[in-house]
Amino acid sequence: MTDMPLRALLGSSDRDPGCDAGLDVIDEYCDTVDRGEPLSDRFREFLSHLANCEACREDTEALLAAIRDQKKDDNAG
Amino acid sequence: MEEVDDLCVQSANDALVAVLAKLDAFRGTARFTTWACKFVILDVSSALRRHAWRHRKVELDDAVWDRLPDTAPPALQYLQNAELLDILRRAVREQLTEHQRLVFQSVTMEGVPIDVLAERLGSTRGAIYKALHDARGKLRQVLADAGYEEIVA
Repeated sequence: MTDMPLRALLGSSDRDPGCDAGLDVIDEYCDTVDRGEPLSDRFREFLSHLANCEACREDTEALLAAIRDQKKDDNAG
Repeated sequence: MEEVDDLCVQSANDALVAVLAKLDAFRGTARFTTWACKFVILDVSSALRRHAWRHRKVELDDAVWDRLPDTAPPALQYLQNAELLDILRRAVREQLTEHQRLVFQSVTMEGVPIDVLAERLGSTRGAIYKALHDARGKLRQVLADAGYEEIVA
């Protein structure tokens, strides 16, 4: 297990498919999280990438926030 | 503030064009609104990061090591006074290509977003991340070879 400060600097040695592959599944991942469903193994590499990539982490959080805002608007309307 | 609003509107418009161009690629694995929103988020967030960094230089600056510990991110503050820091600094200098050094130091030590770096270097986010990933792999290997395999495993 990589020490957390070192992980921020050096990333993890887990398989990481990179930004492009991550952006392919970010929408499916966010919908799954939003529905509160368990994450299947197919997101394992995406999660490794999120741990290593601040930009993708920010974009994932932003997409999740947008989904939740949309739901609030739908419920209010 | 108005400038940022304009930037967001322009990016959202660009994203709308991108969504229309990609409609055939929608596979139904996510809700359509989530899929479409993805492109807006990516365009707007990237534009905002580039805007935030527009007046800041991005260059290979080895002096970043000498500014420790005052301006170092927590990861490097943790490493100060440790043998690890010497090994890491030497590995960055000796094992990485100049491009990898620029990417590694900019992203991990100076907090430059990868899409800002991609724009400045005429590259792509994916390619910059690949360079970072490869650099990190080399550095983990050096640390492992130096006997720190447990903490970089």
